[in-house]
Amino acid sequence: MLPLVVAGGVVTVIMGFILVVLLISWFSNPPFGLGNAPPQPVAFPHTVHVADNNIQCEFCHRNVTKGEAATVPAVESCLFCHQEIDGGSSTTSANSQAEIQKVRDAFDSETPIDWERVHRLPDHVRFIHESHIRYFTDDDPTKKYGINGEELKETLDVALTCTICHGDVGNKTVVQPKTGQSLKMGTCLDCHRNNNVPTDCTVCHK
Amino acid sequence: MVTTNKIKHKWGMVVDLDRCTGCQACVIACQAENNIPINTKDYFQQRRAYEWIRIERYWEGEFPNVKAKFIPILCQHCENAPCEPVCPVFATYHNDEGMNVQVYNRCIGTRYCSVNCPYSARMFNYWQPNWPDSLRNQLNPDVTVRTRGIMEKCTFCVQRLRRGEVNVEQRGIEPLTGEKITGERKLNYRQMQEGNYLPACVQSCPTNALQFADQYDETGPVKERFDEANEIVEKRHHGEHIDENHTRTYRLFEEVGASPNLIYLKKVEPFPLEKRPR
Repeated sequence: MLPLVVAGGVVTVIMGFILVVLLISWFSNPPFGLGNAPPQPVAFPHTVHVADNNIQCEFCHRNVTKGEAATVPAVESCLFCHQEIDGGSSTTSANSQAEIQKVRDAFDSETPIDWERVHRLPDHVRFIHESHIRYFTDDDPTKKYGINGEELKETLDVALTCTICHGDVGNKTVVQPKTGQSLKMGTCLDCHRNNNVPTDCTVCHK
Repeated sequence: MVTTNKIKHKWGMVVDLDRCTGCQACVIACQAENNIPINTKDYFQQRRAYEWIRIERYWEGEFPNVKAKFIPILCQHCENAPCEPVCPVFATYHNDEGMNVQVYNRCIGTRYCSVNCPYSARMFNYWQPNWPDSLRNQLNPDVTVRTRGIMEKCTFCVQRLRRGEVNVEQRGIEPLTGEKITGERKLNYRQMQEGNYLPACVQSCPTNALQFADQYDETGPVKERFDEANEIVEKRHHGEHIDENHTRTYRLFEEVGASPNLIYLKKVEPFPLEKRPR
């Protein structure tokens, strides 16, 4: 009798453990910070560029209004500004000077910076940035709705459209996937249903 | 909520067997467009080759008086598709544009659909797809690379349809009249001009044996043929006599009752084999 009780207890513990792991991985996104992006080769602060200096998203992510991928800018684009701007001369900005020097070195040695990808969709999903930005920045009179079903009163600009999914990236020093929406399929479907746009599988999966 | 005024489509293809020369251009085009793995001799011998469209060849007559007949066979996108009700996870379904859709990320690989398909149009991925390094950069970025253990089949190149829709929306002009689209119509603008959307096999066919268009399109090339085929089905249903010599239109395995969205046109034989001038 005793061995049976022990075996039953062991099975219960194992099943409970599996259940807990599954629940955590489903409801916390990402679980235990496992989904965080690895550290970037250059500590790029979005706060300085966007919040302090008011640079628009599409100034660097140039392809976002033109095609599928938003694209990370080439080193040459950084040098538009940073061949003049060197991050200040005080001792507090020594760190940012060092980071800017990394970018200049990369330009001089003609090696692209190996940025770590933060938002990664599975291979079977096709997402087009351009058509989503075109929809929300369009000034036609039809009403538009956000992900949570709230009505968007005025026409958005490109930067505000980005924050719908990506969150307030402009005020984040380090961008992580959990900065914005979870980018699960339910998030996409909610927004598509709110705006009454097609939800056929082949719109995204093909 | 916004009211949709989506323009309904029902896509259909007409295969003219009189024009088909069996050149296999469609097979190659499909292979390149849809990231289909390269078939080897071994795959064919095991009858596990991946071919979303294949040319079947039949010989007629005795040597030296022989004649080859070709028939391209692809997924028929049936209205009453036998593959759909047997899928336990709804990985295959019929969408509102008359296409039979396979959702790869839902598929769990039971292979019931391929057993139930009367046309053998479905392929199962028995192996992880593998390309030589020199061909890796030719993969189509619009199409998923299917992994091992899931079913795949012809999609009517739906990625080209979506790409064409984005192109039409981007330009924001009516394709037929050239007027600017405004307001609600712009939101769900889904009209495709003829030629904006062609599957790879149709585009590559050198003799125009394959024709592809919207069945609802009055001026399109396929509406007439589909009307004719539907009329024959109606007549047969009422038990009327059909003169087989009068029409070339038929559907593959019509007696199965799957009512495909593909129509075949019979080959015309001006000189039957025995009466052919030598």
